[in-house]
Amino acid sequence: MAAGINRPPRHLPGKGRTAVAQARLVLLIMINVAQLWILAAAIEAALAHHIAALLPLVIASGICFIITLTLIFWWRPASRHYTSSGYLKR
Amino acid sequence: MKTSDAEPGITNDRVRSDERDVREATGPHQADFPYERDEEAQVTRREFCNFLGLTSAALFVGAGGFAGKAALDARRTETFVPLKIEGAAQLLPGTSLNFRYPTERDTAILVRLVDGRYQAFGQKCTHLSCPVYFDQGHQRLECPCHEGAFDAQTGDVLHGPPPRPLDVVHLEMRDGEVWAVGRFAGSEERSI
Repeated sequence: MAAGINRPPRHLPGKGRTAVAQARLVLLIMINVAQLWILAAAIEAALAHHIAALLPLVIASGICFIITLTLIFWWRPASRHYTSSGYLKR
Repeated sequence: MKTSDAEPGITNDRVRSDERDVREATGPHQADFPYERDEEAQVTRREFCNFLGLTSAALFVGAGGFAGKAALDARRTETFVPLKIEGAAQLLPGTSLNFRYPTERDTAILVRLVDGRYQAFGQKCTHLSCPVYFDQGHQRLECPCHEGAFDAQTGDVLHGPPPRPLDVVHLEMRDGEVWAVGRFAGSEERSI
């Protein structure tokens, strides 16, 4: 290859960021599906009067919700140059 | 709009209002306020993430609501008014009688066992609330929906999908008559 020719980078930064965003989306969908299952189990336990099984199910759903909030508000791609407050990383 | 109402010289297609007319009418303002209808219909990734977040919150609140209501119902203590079961004294051994207790909405079944003792249970199957019936041949309570079976003496599950025993109706004998005095969940987790 002749010297001086600028070859495009093999990994574009934008592509990596898109992949991270897609992964976040997939994680959110999976958590939603898990919460749907938890809700179904909670309804079944409530109708069957299995009171002891309800609290763990609600706690599990709450943990899923916290993870969802974490993914939406605080989970950012590591290659991001700007923080949410606008600070430019070095 | 009727064609007869249209102005002379304007075709039917022209009179009918559609998006093209709107675009023509707002043409002078398009440069100042650019608006693309196709892009408006698309959902961005951020909007979809927010939607998933709201869905997650709704599912959490829903699970918590069901659990809270079930827990409140379990803590609630009811007082039962004794009720005489009409026709119970004439019931032959090995047969059953349907009645309602403690309210008109709560169906129950009274069984007179072959030894002459009385037992009463809630008639709703604990699987999916189908009404159970007394099978005289096997001397047990059976659910016709999914072939669940319950012991006629205790209400315990013999086989099938029901997850817990039938509700138990407590009985008392008063002057030769059978009275219902209370109704409780078979699993003893919650009084009804």
